[in-house]
Amino acid sequence: MTRSGFAQLQDVILDADFPELDVALRRGRHIDREDHAWYELLTQAQEHLEPFYRRYGCELIFKTDGYYYLLPTSDKVSRRQLSPGDMLVGQALALLYLDPAAIERGGRVTMEELIAQLVAVLGSDALIRAFNPKRKRYDERVAQKTARARVAEAVRHLAALGFVDMAEEQLRLRPALLRFAEPVRGLTEPAEALAKLVAQGEVTLETEEEAAEGAEEAEGAEDGEPDPEPELDRGGDDDEDDDGSGGDDDEDG
Amino acid sequence: MAVVAERRLAIELGTVDVCFLVALYVRAEGANLTSFTEAQLEDVFAQASAVAQPGVDQVRRRATLAIQRLRDQRMLARVDGQGVVRTGEFALSRLATGIVEFFLEEDVLTRESLVLLTGSLRAAIASVLDAARAASGPDAWQGGVTGPLRVTVSELIAGIERRQRGLDLQQESFQAEIRKLLEADWFGAIERCQALLESTSATLRELNEVLLHDSSLLLALLHDIEELAVAAGEAEAEAAAHRLIDQVDRIAAWGSARQRAWSEYFQYVHRYLRDVVRLDPTRALTQRLREQLAGGGQRFALAYASTPPLRILRATPVVRERPPVVRPHAPRDREPAPDAGEDPQVALDAKVLRSLDGGARALSAVTTEVTAELPGPERFVEAGRVAGTVARLARATAERERPWVAVGEELEIEDWKLARAAGGAGGAGGIGGVGGGAA
Repeated sequence: MTRSGFAQLQDVILDADFPELDVALRRGRHIDREDHAWYELLTQAQEHLEPFYRRYGCELIFKTDGYYYLLPTSDKVSRRQLSPGDMLVGQALALLYLDPAAIERGGRVTMEELIAQLVAVLGSDALIRAFNPKRKRYDERVAQKTARARVAEAVRHLAALGFVDMAEEQLRLRPALLRFAEPVRGLTEPAEALAKLVAQGEVTLETEEEAAEGAEEAEGAEDGEPDPEPELDRGGDDDEDDDGSGGDDDEDG
Repeated sequence: MAVVAERRLAIELGTVDVCFLVALYVRAEGANLTSFTEAQLEDVFAQASAVAQPGVDQVRRRATLAIQRLRDQRMLARVDGQGVVRTGEFALSRLATGIVEFFLEEDVLTRESLVLLTGSLRAAIASVLDAARAASGPDAWQGGVTGPLRVTVSELIAGIERRQRGLDLQQESFQAEIRKLLEADWFGAIERCQALLESTSATLRELNEVLLHDSSLLLALLHDIEELAVAAGEAEAEAAAHRLIDQVDRIAAWGSARQRAWSEYFQYVHRYLRDVVRLDPTRALTQRLREQLAGGGQRFALAYASTPPLRILRATPVVRERPPVVRPHAPRDREPAPDAGEDPQVALDAKVLRSLDGGARALSAVTTEVTAELPGPERFVEAGRVAGTVARLARATAERERPWVAVGEELEIEDWKLARAAGGAGGAGGIGGVGGGAA
């Protein structure tokens, strides 16, 4: 379906796809060309929607990599940040996105390849420690199982936010993954770029305490066995209609 | 499958074996040979061995073993039938030819080969249609329609399908080549990658156009043949036409499916080249991102909108409070209370006396009369009480052998003869008076 453009905001809001798109954006979903109808609607209605969402204290961000997302800049719309585990997995997926090896299969990778990427960059011990941070002693087998479960949990969360698609044991990498590479994309120093992104509200810096708290939240049962169906929404939102996209630190409650 | 498993069929070919088969195939094609002598086989093996395993010794012995391996696996067949009389002649089997053709990848679908094949197919089916129109008997249908459909037309369609699989493999190798090009020469590979993408896209587009156009013509012809077969009651011809219709449908579906899949891949790679390769010509981003992930620098977290879904309050039904299930509390021991009811023994005495007064002179007669209105089970109990009462109010005499007399339909009792008791019982003065004299 092609749209001929929107004369005014009312036309956008009356579009059949707008309600679902609006809800998805407000839940943190990143929209790219794969979301054909939504992407087209955003492209056609961008000039109307930017001021519209600004009234809610949000910026409708468009990246030249080809994706949109909503970034809250005030407390009118609830805002969260990704957990340390999600960030590790997101950056590993971004690395895979940049790897020509993924090109051969049209941007599809497996969970095994993702974990192998994490191991290649972090090392096995660091990876296991990252996902079992509170444990001083751990059984290797159980810790590995926990790490795999936490990675899978992070992938599900990132999929709900539109960073990847999950299909038949494969992950399809999407352009929004390049958001994880934003601090190192430009020619400026990463610290400087990071400061700029913090000022824009794109990222938050993680203190040691926050990292420990986030990791503690990610910690599963006391015996280290991962939950069969890990609860994604760790932010206290228990509504059954939730899409499972929570799981992080809610900044404004 | 059961037959394959039972016969333990297996194929084991090493690189040198495959090279040997390819060399034989090429030699046969080049020299127009239909079979090889043993000397020729050894000669060809020596050439293949020089390529696949240069520097090895005992080539002749290895040739003997390789020939035996291929014969055991039905790749080579002796065709002269002379046995021990003279040295044999050998030919490649269909299995060996198929394997070699697969590895040589000769059958890749191109626009030229597809146009040629579909043209031949159309002509073949048209002639079959003419034969079907003219067919007047089962033999004509078998020879002019069913046979050609099963062999000629089916082979042509299989040829298209085989080439389709060849093109699939070629696409896979293109995808791998694009990856290798980028890995080898990141920014410099853009032009070659785009050229590969464009050429494959153009090929697929052309093939799909030909398939869309020609498949509809082929299907129309096959449907005509099928209708004629149905009208003539030729089930075999109908089945053959139907099977070919399915095959043509599959060929057409392949074209659109491959074009769709390639289009998706094409767009992905184009975006990759534009957004990743062109914007990062030195491939520094990967390295910097790797360092970031490895823990270099300040840790950060991406922010995102997270509006919770609207809470819709459910209408809750009013729950009726149900009392807990308990046993009734009643005192086990009841206080005695005066009962103004009739003494059952007094009533029974009265009934027995009335019966005796009425002339009953046997226990059975009294029991029958007194218990007449009672149900069966109570009657048995009451009969005992009647006997006791009778014994008290009358004088019973019994013979040594007392007879069993039926009382109603369900009860028998030992009968007594009764006489009036002397003086009677207390409270039954009338009877007592009557019986006194008898005693």
